[in-house]
Amino acid sequence: MRRVARAAALLLAASVLGAAEPSSPSGPSRLSGELDAAGLAARVAQEKGRVVLVNFWATWCEPCREEFPSLSRLAAAYRAKGLTVLGVSTDLASQLPGVEKFLAAQNPPFPNYRKKSEGDDQDFIDAVDRAWGGDLPFTVLYGRDGRKAKALAGQQSYAQFEKEVQSLLR
Amino acid sequence: MRFARTLLLAAAFVSVAGLARAAGPEIGAAAPDFTLQTIDGKTLSLAEAAKTHKAVVVMFIATKCPYSNAYNDRMRDMAAAYGGKGVLFVGINSNKTEPLAEVIAHAKEHGHTFPIAKDPDNKVADLYGAGHTPEVYVVTPDGKLRYHGRIDENYEDASKVASPDLKNALDDLLANRTVARAETKAFGCTIKRV
Repeated sequence: MRRVARAAALLLAASVLGAAEPSSPSGPSRLSGELDAAGLAARVAQEKGRVVLVNFWATWCEPCREEFPSLSRLAAAYRAKGLTVLGVSTDLASQLPGVEKFLAAQNPPFPNYRKKSEGDDQDFIDAVDRAWGGDLPFTVLYGRDGRKAKALAGQQSYAQFEKEVQSLLR
Repeated sequence: MRFARTLLLAAAFVSVAGLARAAGPEIGAAAPDFTLQTIDGKTLSLAEAAKTHKAVVVMFIATKCPYSNAYNDRMRDMAAAYGGKGVLFVGINSNKTEPLAEVIAHAKEHGHTFPIAKDPDNKVADLYGAGHTPEVYVVTPDGKLRYHGRIDENYEDASKVASPDLKNALDDLLANRTVARAETKAFGCTIKRV
């Protein structure tokens, strides 16, 4: 068991880089690091016992920007009840300044990562959910057992997020 | 086998909640026909276009989406290069937020001389199950869908494309080969539906 935990920790360390480089001299990055598909799976596994909501977004995606405040509200309201929210920006490295600016303005109460630029996006998309066509935003919910419970395509309202989360927290 | 595929499709449908649109045609199935008015006032019928070309590339495009706009030059260049080989490129704008005047101005600005049409009430996007821009479908003269997905894997830098998927598909079709990689995926801007 301990060996499995250590392997998972090593995998996570290998897949999650440290905090991304500051995009401006004004302060450290608001991103918690970069993830590939394996890193994301390991990050979700770290939260076993809690319901995990992973939201994929991008600064150039208008509906993503519109639904983001709902995620912040949800994370704050349900953290103590067992919900972990993770954000994954699919922006490219060249768009990092925009990502930092967006996160600075939103100040989300949950960690956000950036999808690693390397590799074919299709591999990442398929690893997250084979039914996902690549449209953003996209949200995946994992139950307390760590298994994928539901995927939500497109922009969701706070009420829609809340309904799904409440059903998994029961 | 058919049962297994049905189960897989059902599982895929169940796994993605909130997906209001229906699934599009499978590779090898009949591509849904449509008739639209192009931005220069002509009538575009997919069935007619397919009969008179070696292939028709139906591209769901946008005026404001950075991902779609990154491909403006590639769309223009590929439409010209493959136009000489009997392939017709068609642009469809299904976004409710992008009016006709904007689509016309965008086409002019980017030298898009291939047929472009607005898709009122996103009916064609719904027929194909198109989710984002850019997203392309290739139809052959028999009316069958032969390719669905992205133009290539590198929206940021056309000079560093490693997987020119649409080009490969067209080259396969023009050489009478089965398309080797008939379905691909990429990130894109969700089509803004009514």
